[in-house]
Amino acid sequence: MSQRVEHTLACYGTAIAAAAIFVLFAVAAPNFIHISNLLEILKDSSFLAILGLGFSLSFVTAELDLSFANICSLAAVVTGGLIHEEVSPWLAVLAGLVTGIAGGALNGFLVTRLKIPSLIATLGTASAANGLAFAETGGVAFVGRWDPTFLGVARGSVLGIPNLVLWTAVAAALVQFLLTATRLGMRMIFVGEADEAARLAGVKVRWMKFMGLSLSGLTAGFVAVLLTAHLNSAAPNMAGDFLLTSIAAVLVGMTMFQPGRVNVPGTLLGAFMIGMLGNGLVLLGAPYYVQDILIGVILVASVGLSAATLKKAAFGL
Amino acid sequence: MRAAAPILRLAGIRKSYGAVEALKGIDLAVDAGEVVAVCGDNGAGKSTLIRVAAGALEPSAGAVEFEGEPIALGSPLDALRAGIATIYQDLALAPRLTIWQNVFIGAELKNRLGLLDKRRMRVNAARYLARLRIELSDVNRAVERLSGGQRQAVAIARALHWEARLVIMDEPTAALGVTESARVLDLIRSLRDGGTAVVLISHNMADIVAVATRVAVLKTGVKIYDAPLGDLTADDLAHMIMTGTPPAPRA
Repeated sequence: MSQRVEHTLACYGTAIAAAAIFVLFAVAAPNFIHISNLLEILKDSSFLAILGLGFSLSFVTAELDLSFANICSLAAVVTGGLIHEEVSPWLAVLAGLVTGIAGGALNGFLVTRLKIPSLIATLGTASAANGLAFAETGGVAFVGRWDPTFLGVARGSVLGIPNLVLWTAVAAALVQFLLTATRLGMRMIFVGEADEAARLAGVKVRWMKFMGLSLSGLTAGFVAVLLTAHLNSAAPNMAGDFLLTSIAAVLVGMTMFQPGRVNVPGTLLGAFMIGMLGNGLVLLGAPYYVQDILIGVILVASVGLSAATLKKAAFGL
Repeated sequence: MRAAAPILRLAGIRKSYGAVEALKGIDLAVDAGEVVAVCGDNGAGKSTLIRVAAGALEPSAGAVEFEGEPIALGSPLDALRAGIATIYQDLALAPRLTIWQNVFIGAELKNRLGLLDKRRMRVNAARYLARLRIELSDVNRAVERLSGGQRQAVAIARALHWEARLVIMDEPTAALGVTESARVLDLIRSLRDGGTAVVLISHNMADIVAVATRVAVLKTGVKIYDAPLGDLTADDLAHMIMTGTPPAPRA
């Protein structure tokens, strides 16, 4: 195989596979190609795409955040709980965002100050966030007739494009801007690639890692607001399913465009692929567990293809 | 005779690790445009000494002066800001990142909006490499795709960007072949010719003889020799390192 073909396959192989699956569903599954269904896929993918973008900000500094889904659930019940108590929706939104960034900052503190490996620290935070979310709700969900303006944040659309899709585009643009146009982004990436080299070049390594984990938490808080508004409810483990799928979206994204590297277009396409698989399989009448099995396979395969980065983030190898 | 204050003066530097005294009152002065080789056997104190000068290690006692002024080097960043750049044996580069990212990390150029000025960083990175007579047409290339000598050049280009007046190089040719080593020695000469002072740590006596203007020899934390290279040979240096005895004056 020529080098050019190899390079093309390395960069675009996963994207080509995604296109092939798309065509397969379009042919085999009735209504798959319908515009309303495609918008539905985009809406469903938006939560895991934004959470994936947040996860990638910690991952890019070579730290793993395994708490974002639970922090998201906690932030959701904080937001939903306040709205339920008829506090101003915007104050509730602010509380959700603050909960997210506080959870992320706690991870940052545990990892950079107490030197606890992020794998362990964020698992601990996840467990604590989960407990707090159940304590807040008493194990039930907050549901009610909430302020339509608040619900419109996630439920509305602009020129026919669902707000959730627009929010995903905004989040992707911000993360891309941070990573490619700012000094903070360049330093976060450098720290993830070679932390000792960064330190010797005068970069504040701990601060970069702290920022990565905090921003991951902030993103979780943002998704919590969207999720609460979209579902008009808040439950203590409502974002739990996004943990694996969002990480899978990032890892699948690392197999394309810039192989082995966290990249925004890859994460977006990875999220869309996972959303498309779920949707297409349902339309084909496949049992629900087939999707879980496929996600597992995708996760392992993509980790296999981007193992070096993952090992460094998880185990410092 | 020295005309002005040296670029770097280390005076009475001591460093202890518990009961072990790694440096026992070392004095060392380095002038602009000089290549001072610091050599000695393993455990002589070379690495400890350069880590003190690089701001990576605080001495137990002694003083550091840079360009005639006392200076406290609390971190590598302090040293870089003062004008002391250190190129470590592993080069402290991020292999998967580009040449320009490696040159500018820690001192990125920004435009009027406060954003990264990538175009200017690419142009300047190419300019620094050209000053070092290294032809690398594409500064977007990942460092992992460069040869050992080219990687040294990237590390030196970073020192140029920091406008270092003193570059400390730790075993710069240790992992290189003959051709690449010759290229790195050329880089050292070009730094010297540009007026930059260089402190060279090396086990390779032939390299030292090829580029050094002065030699300081350490043994068990004590400086036993410090003089211009003159007509010292690699064998003389090796003998001095092993025996701790300066060579007898030639007739």
